[in-house]
Amino acid sequence: MHVDHVLFMQQVSAFLGPYYLTLALLNAIAAAVLTYQLKNARAGLISVGVSFFFVILSAFAWNGLPPGLPQSVRDMANVALTGNRGAVIYTLGTTALLIALFFTRKYWVRPAVAWGALNAALLLMGLSMISPAFFNIVSKADNVPIVSLVFLLGFFTWLATSKAVANDERAKQGLPPLEKLDDEKILVWPDLVYTELICMVVVTVVLLVWAIGLKAPLEFCAERAKTPNPSKAPWYFLGLQEMLVYYDPWMAGVVLPSLVLFGLMAIPYIDFNKKGCGYYTIAQRKFAYCMFQIGFLELWVTLIVLGTFLRGPNWNFFGPFEDWDTHKVLALNNVNLSDYFWIDVLGASVPRVTSDMTGGDAVITVLKREGLGIVLLLIYFIGLPPVLASTVFRKMFVRMGFIRYMVMCNLLLFMTALPLKMVLRWTVNLKYIIYIPEIFLNF
Amino acid sequence: MAEKKKLSVAEILAAARKADSGGNEGGGAPSEKAAPPAEESSPAAAPAQSASAPSEPPAPATAAKSPPPKSIEKPAAKPAAAPGDRPSVKDMLAMARAGKSAAPTVKPAAEAAAEESAAEKAKPAPKPAPKSAPGVQAAKAAKSESPAEAAAPRSTASILEAVRAGKRLGPISKSELAPAPAAVEAEVVKPAKMKPAAGPMPAKPDYAKKTSPAVKDEAIESRRTAVGFLGFAVGSFLAAGFSAMTATFGLWTLGFARFMFPNILTEPPNRFKVGFPADIPPGTVNEKFKTQSGVWLVNAEYNGKPQIIALSAICTHLGCTPNWLEAEQKFKCPCHGSGFYKEGINFEGPAPRPLERFAIRLADDGQLEVDKSRTFQEEKGEWSNPDCFVPV
Ligand code: FES
Repeated sequence: MHVDHVLFMQQVSAFLGPYYLTLALLNAIAAAVLTYQLKNARAGLISVGVSFFFVILSAFAWNGLPPGLPQSVRDMANVALTGNRGAVIYTLGTTALLIALFFTRKYWVRPAVAWGALNAALLLMGLSMISPAFFNIVSKADNVPIVSLVFLLGFFTWLATSKAVANDERAKQGLPPLEKLDDEKILVWPDLVYTELICMVVVTVVLLVWAIGLKAPLEFCAERAKTPNPSKAPWYFLGLQEMLVYYDPWMAGVVLPSLVLFGLMAIPYIDFNKKGCGYYTIAQRKFAYCMFQIGFLELWVTLIVLGTFLRGPNWNFFGPFEDWDTHKVLALNNVNLSDYFWIDVLGASVPRVTSDMTGGDAVITVLKREGLGIVLLLIYFIGLPPVLASTVFRKMFVRMGFIRYMVMCNLLLFMTALPLKMVLRWTVNLKYIIYIPEIFLNF
Repeated sequence: MAEKKKLSVAEILAAARKADSGGNEGGGAPSEKAAPPAEESSPAAAPAQSASAPSEPPAPATAAKSPPPKSIEKPAAKPAAAPGDRPSVKDMLAMARAGKSAAPTVKPAAEAAAEESAAEKAKPAPKPAPKSAPGVQAAKAAKSESPAEAAAPRSTASILEAVRAGKRLGPISKSELAPAPAAVEAEVVKPAKMKPAAGPMPAKPDYAKKTSPAVKDEAIESRRTAVGFLGFAVGSFLAAGFSAMTATFGLWTLGFARFMFPNILTEPPNRFKVGFPADIPPGTVNEKFKTQSGVWLVNAEYNGKPQIIALSAICTHLGCTPNWLEAEQKFKCPCHGSGFYKEGINFEGPAPRPLERFAIRLADDGQLEVDKSRTFQEEKGEWSNPDCFVPV
């Protein structure tokens, strides 16, 4: 055990030394850019300081003493993010974070601030590395692309947001968006072809280095009776896999993904807002922007991160620094709405379909048993759109017309159904709202 | 409602031109419909137009109609549009800009539209007029505006649109309200068909002529090709080729289906002996046959009755293989976390139903025999079937 730990520390040090050094280098470059190009001398100076800081960290790491988060902090994170409560905290936390970022976007898009945030995130990751559990997750060959993608996504979101913020600012002053300033035409030769060539070279180099540096994550021979534990979908499908936990396979595997696809295709036909074509903007397309970011960042990316970092053996929730214990016991008794209603509220036993029932009797029994769930779903999908149309979406309803509005509203309701069900599962162990196993229909 | 679209000068001119050609058609050659090429005809058609114009002396008087929506009486008459004379382009422009009376100006041309629509839809055209206009006769004779029409807001755009389309206007059809005298003869002369037919049109400009025959040729050509293709397709190399291809694919499919029934099965038999009941003490799960056969032998109580059962090791969620966790006394699926009690009942995670049971019986030699070809599902009430358990 002790030897293991020593080996682990060597491994981590070997990683963190160059890691911090790279960060120091990047900060030095950033200092130059901030000072000379962006004329922000103060930020440049801070960046120089940060660079030195990283050099020192790097020196510690090279010498086998990588600094890390204190155990107490790690324990706190584990307690906060483990189990069902952890899932709730994670989901609500990311949601709150995204909302906060949205409202304070003017502040965060400043290059110096964004650079600082990136540094903080990278530092946090470096400090977390001394936890074996975290290091194993992050350095797993499968997950390396996920981690880098998270940072890439952050970068591109920042880029787009900063452009949008700039354009919105210009629009306020009555100026045209930045994209309209320069003539969009560029020459294919040499401009475009050269750009493409450079991209090609860079991508080739990255892939080569990657292929040499990281072993392909091959696993043992496939065996019918042995499913890897945990068994994770490819990273881009982790959101779908997460969805499968909360909905019936046909819903989560067929209906909802198709709805996602068709919904995306339907956007141009639903969208009545003519503004924002060909340039970045948030203020002019607030609804569309928020909906897209909820769908993408909240319901796709955070679920990927959740699936990567917090889902462990037996598909249990684990804290980020928690060891993946196959035998971790979590009480996950799931209860159907009909059980809640019949047993807890009515104090009766749940009506069941027995084999000696006739077809008609069976149908009546099922309807009686699942009546509450059916009514609730009808209210959600049929009752809610008109209510929304006469309240929050009133203006949109008028502009969109009935059909477009209904399509939009139902897609939206399906989208929100996922986090709703997730939170219900985590908080009250709700399994299915409608549970008709007799015909494989559960929702 | 008529949409209020601002017209560019170019559009107005185009409309005026169309008007010319339209009038030409109406007056000169009833046989010619306002086919697209004709619509594009230019002022070159003007002479014919002016020839036709006198036949409708009241035409300019129509200028007096088409007041703005508010007042019926308001005369928007253009003095420039002298009776019998086509209003000059300048006049048309002026009126079109005024936003209200481009139509009347275009009217002589719109006559054509009226005729056509009358010819095509003889019924709809006159219908609304008698209803709404008290002085239908007058309207007919003098082509004056009916109050009904005046009441509806009419935009230049909608009128021009109508002229262009060569049929009646949308909401405030001019042609509906003004069945021109010429319409009657057009009705007689022209059969109501939509196909553009080449007619004796001396005054047509070159480019207008050009397209019309082309269209016709194309139509004939395509018909010829279609017939030829049909003949070709029925008895020819093509037919032979496609039949051969279909046959090949058919055979291919059959051959593929043959793979579903291999000569030799390498998988273990469906029915196999798993030892004596004494090998499975009460309350235990025997995993010996999981790897090879995907079966757990469980000695557990179900509904208060101790029994030995053969549980399928396939998760009822999406088919992963769960693991038996001795410490927690449960089956747990690694894919989405479904959990099952020892007797196979699902209690956590997304699995919608309990694990399935296989048929099991006590063979003659005292050993247990599992038959995987028959499954028993709890949610269907099949677990009470004595074939799926051996009481102990
Ligand atoms: S396959 Fe077993 S839980 Fe999904």
